[in-house]
Amino acid sequence: MASKSEFERLLSDHWPRLRRFAFALSRNAADADDLMQGTVERAMRSIDQWQAGSRFDSWLFRIARNHWIDTTRSRSRAAKRFVAAEEGESVGFDPRPGTEAGIDLKRAMAALERLPDEQREVVALILIDGFGYREAAELLGQPIGTISSRLVRGRKALLGLLGENGMQDD
Amino acid sequence: MTDQEEFFAWLDGELDDAAAARVAARVATDPELAEEARVHRALGAQLRSAFDPLMDAPVPHRIGQSPTDHTAVRERRAARRIAMPQWAAIAATLVVGVVGGTMLGSNPSGPVAGHGGTIVAAGALDRALDTQLASAPVADGVRIGLTFRDSTGAVCRSFDDGALSGLACRDGDEWRFRGLFQKSVEGGGDYRMAAGPDPRLGAMIDETVAGEPLDAEGERAAKANGWR
Repeated sequence: MASKSEFERLLSDHWPRLRRFAFALSRNAADADDLMQGTVERAMRSIDQWQAGSRFDSWLFRIARNHWIDTTRSRSRAAKRFVAAEEGESVGFDPRPGTEAGIDLKRAMAALERLPDEQREVVALILIDGFGYREAAELLGQPIGTISSRLVRGRKALLGLLGENGMQDD
Repeated sequence: MTDQEEFFAWLDGELDDAAAARVAARVATDPELAEEARVHRALGAQLRSAFDPLMDAPVPHRIGQSPTDHTAVRERRAARRIAMPQWAAIAATLVVGVVGGTMLGSNPSGPVAGHGGTIVAAGALDRALDTQLASAPVADGVRIGLTFRDSTGAVCRSFDDGALSGLACRDGDEWRFRGLFQKSVEGGGDYRMAAGPDPRLGAMIDETVAGEPLDAEGERAAKANGWR
């Protein structure tokens, strides 16, 4: 187990990635902040369960993901129905070629919001954070084949939402 | 693994050498597959870059201390983080004997602020020096020791707030430090309380005081006169 100061240092080191993960899972910045706060609180309470030498990021992200399932996810699912009705099929993608060099955070979050949760978490872990398939499978407690097929479906859905025309080489 | 899953696993660098070579050969001879690889690489890159700004935002100070109001605490900690390096410099030893020169940036909530090339009392310490009589109960954690005049006639007061003790003399509307002593500091910035003010403070007072320290009545009168 880690001492409090060691824990704070580890948390500090992983803070930017944790924040990115929280945003990838959340519907907006406020939900992401709530998720961060809940994750840190849970992590502090269960600091004894982290084994020094094991991957702190996996441990921390698992706590975040479980907290998301327990709280934010049910809330965002309820909200998603309204968002979908308001926005129809558009996630704000401009189909004119060359008008948009990249995706901003808002559009990316809106697109991720439309994915089924089990695809969204895999995309957040592997495509955005860069976890390996095996680490993601262990973190999520799923077989690697399941992770792999969810990632394929998530990617294709994202491409559909964000538009192939947006994917210019630059 | 389906062909599609294998294709994406290749894109993600998840295949062993033999399988990767096989998929690479397939992609090389299939323009549609090559275009799919390009589009999905771009998708991944753009998705990551959309999230990049989050990676640059500052890490809150001492995040392990569980906040209840996250935003407010984060802002407070951001402010404190800015002020910490100066504090750390001060805390390195028993701080300062005689204070002069520019040492500090301003920290709106701390007991010390830099001003015009000197450091002066701020926040709760400044309020205590302004308003608190030595005989009064401890407020804001600040205990006032002696009040006296120095050889130039300026009113000086010694203080002890548990973490810092020192001597400050009135200069215009501010309390300018003559000496500032920090109690020994342990890791994480928690103060280990020592009993009473630093012994060097007594020596500093002896060197500074002109005549006798003010009694309770003299202190009240000096306060009523704006510490002039």
